Amino acid sequence: MDHTSDPNAMRYVIDPERLDLVAEFRKSPLGVHSPELRAMLARMRWGKAQGRLVLVVLEAGKAWRLSRIPERRGDPMPFVDERIFTSLAAAEWHVFKIRWQAMTGVTLPPEYQGDL
Amino acid sequence: MIYRTNEYLGYPDRISVPAGETVKFQLSSKRDKVNVEVLRLRCGDVDAAGPGFKYEVMESGVDGVHACLDQEIRPGSCAVIEHGGALVPSGAAWSFGAYVWPTLIADNAKAIMGNWCAATERGYALEIDAEGYPVLVLGAARFALKVKVAARVWSFVSATLDPVRKTATLSLIVPADSTVPTMAHAETFALSGDPALDSGLDFLIAAQHLDEAARYTAHFDGKIEAPRVFSRALDAEMLRVFDWQPRTGATTAGLVAFWDFSDGITGLSVKDISPNCLNGRLHQLPRRGVTGFFWSGAVHDFRLAPKEYAAIHFHSDDIYDCQWQTTLMLDVPDGWRTGVYSLRLTPVGDTPEPDCESYVTFFVTPGKKTKRADLVVVLSVATYLAYANSALRLYQVHFETLMEHVLWLPMDDVFMQEHPEIGQSTYDCHVDGSGRCYSSWLRPVLSTRPRGYWFNLINDTHILDWLEEKGIAYDVITDVELDREGSRALKPYRAMMTPTHPEYYSFNMMNGIMEYQNAGGRHISMGGNGFYWRCGFHPAAPEALEVRRGMAGTRTWESAPGEVHLAGTGEPGSLWRHSGFAPQKLVGAGFSAMINDTCGYYLRQPDSEDPRAAFIFEGTGRREKFGDFGFRYNGAVGSEIDRLDYELGTPRHALLLATSEGLGAGALPTPEEFRTMVDGLDGTQNALVRADMVFFETPNGGAVFASGSITFGMSLGYNNYDNNISAITLNVVKRFLDPEPFAMPALA
Repeated sequence: MDHTSDPNAMRYVIDPERLDLVAEFRKSPLGVHSPELRAMLARMRWGKAQGRLVLVVLEAGKAWRLSRIPERRGDPMPFVDERIFTSLAAAEWHVFKIRWQAMTGVTLPPEYQGDL
Repeated sequence: MIYRTNEYLGYPDRISVPAGETVKFQLSSKRDKVNVEVLRLRCGDVDAAGPGFKYEVMESGVDGVHACLDQEIRPGSCAVIEHGGALVPSGAAWSFGAYVWPTLIADNAKAIMGNWCAATERGYALEIDAEGYPVLVLGAARFALKVKVAARVWSFVSATLDPVRKTATLSLIVPADSTVPTMAHAETFALSGDPALDSGLDFLIAAQHLDEAARYTAHFDGKIEAPRVFSRALDAEMLRVFDWQPRTGATTAGLVAFWDFSDGITGLSVKDISPNCLNGRLHQLPRRGVTGFFWSGAVHDFRLAPKEYAAIHFHSDDIYDCQWQTTLMLDVPDGWRTGVYSLRLTPVGDTPEPDCESYVTFFVTPGKKTKRADLVVVLSVATYLAYANSALRLYQVHFETLMEHVLWLPMDDVFMQEHPEIGQSTYDCHVDGSGRCYSSWLRPVLSTRPRGYWFNLINDTHILDWLEEKGIAYDVITDVELDREGSRALKPYRAMMTPTHPEYYSFNMMNGIMEYQNAGGRHISMGGNGFYWRCGFHPAAPEALEVRRGMAGTRTWESAPGEVHLAGTGEPGSLWRHSGFAPQKLVGAGFSAMINDTCGYYLRQPDSEDPRAAFIFEGTGRREKFGDFGFRYNGAVGSEIDRLDYELGTPRHALLLATSEGLGAGALPTPEEFRTMVDGLDGTQNALVRADMVFFETPNGGAVFASGSITFGMSLGYNNYDNNISAITLNVVKRFLDPEPFAMPALA
């Protein structure tokens, strides 16, 4: 196995205390980030594709909806919920919060739980 | 509106058609009728933030309603041998077997060899079942060994039928490998009744018959080597090691067939070297030129030691030609302009369905009666094929980290996940994990359609849109013509333009452009990461591109050891840089880095003030930022970028006009740009992570301009086409179309 193909190749451990990184991300989900936040995002985005949250483009440049890569090729790929995003930054923040909860097991404080 | 883009699927028989000639379209749908229009695309990009989806509806002989069949795609490769009954067991005994190197043991049985048919349960076969146990199938009866084969380990699986004693013996020999000594297992089974061993059908290697309609199933994933059949009883080890090499004046008693896959590796026939000449053909383009049981590693080129490459790697998801029935034939009028064309396919019915439209893209090239323009745009079909139906966004571990955002999947990606039978790109892997070497246009290609993924062709139409806007006459040809005709395809033109990302280039394409440039032709290289992979169209399957990934380069898989040479042409795959013809030698700049975060812009360099290049920057300022804007990427320096390098072949007299600024930590070098990992490789520190804009003259009055960036073309239309990228490109185009020869400076 090589680094590009290994789902476990990222070593970074997310510290649930680092709300400063959460704040930095929320401020600009698609912007230029600090080295520490880049490392955390690289870890969050790495891993086996199956089960990964993705944005299906409903209308190019206008509307997106969350789906998830299925376990097997050929399986159906339904949307995960009813929400339609009209901002990529809002979608990015939404996925970030889901992954934070899943990867740290810690719920974000109320002030970070809302939409962008 | 959310579009349904896959109600109709289709493909052309030829990807480019000269005006005045005919192209056949094969369409499929669950709906029994289709409404057809032909569009000439000016800009195929439907993005709300782009130049706009612009096209002309062409009046054609295929306009209107056509009947449409629901046509199946059956992927999976195998060898097919017509035998006229010669491979039906007869006589006192029957022995058969082959070396196998399975790569995927899962889901369903995988056939090794035989004539067995699942629908009729007639015939005989060797197979590996879903758990890895070798199985002998005789009519409706199945006999399994209690020992499994291992994935990616060579084994010899064989059987002997003895109709006199009414027994069958199934054997597995696993020759010594690594720390494991040779192992042999065999079991003899008593036969009851008289199994029906004659299916009346062809003999197949790596598949079984699904039914009697030449539909195949149980496709083997992995390598098979040296299948053989005897009409007598042979001990398994004797069957494995018999003297199979033909000798003059000597025959081998009872030998019915021995398929030597080392014979004819560059073709699609399989040769039986027994006196019976039971030759066969390959179906759906499995991979040849792969290392076999006897590979020594002494050479890595199958042409030098074909006997060490006597295996074929079959895949259950190989797909070369869907073999659909033709739905309609378009006679392209002599007078049609060259360009990017698409069939627009919409439903027929009383209830309007404006959200439902599909496309099949093809290219119209100059015909015998076409009055040629002075400029030709050479579209990158090889690259479109290399990326055709790319599933990078679906299945790659690294891809979201690389893109630095949650992945955006067009609806076509959802379709590809749900319908993997259409086959993926040369960036993807087969179900067995091995990289895909082939991509053909004889199947639905979703990634070259409006409303689909935009990389490559749709991005390229931004350049065509700009040419139309500026009123510059141009023809379109594709690199397929360049591959087939070499420099003759370019000769009628004063200037050529390559678009955003001409990454995959064959030998004929590279040398064709070099010859054109050296004969006084002018080349405007608009893109980035061009002329990078050495690839080839398969001579025996000319609609398929073949790619082998070497041991360097930006790549999502890597060729197995010893498997870098193209099976079709024998030449080494991998990077042109590793064949001594780096892109710098052709256009002055070559791949340096990928930009995964924010794009950059250019700043002029001192060479831009050289009188030789003064025409390029007329009307612009010396200190301007060039291209700090653009559609989709927001900058003219982005996606993939190229740099000048004299050692790699940039002509010594080349001028460095401009170089990039503003690249950050997400700008990362391509692997062949460093030999040792050290800190400071990214764009914040690494001076080699940059885009260079280059100009140089060529012999006989020609010249080359290279932008050095994929996203350069997506800046042309910004601000209603009024911007400094548009301005310098127009300066280049005008001068390159001027017959006044360029003067090459005297070389020191």
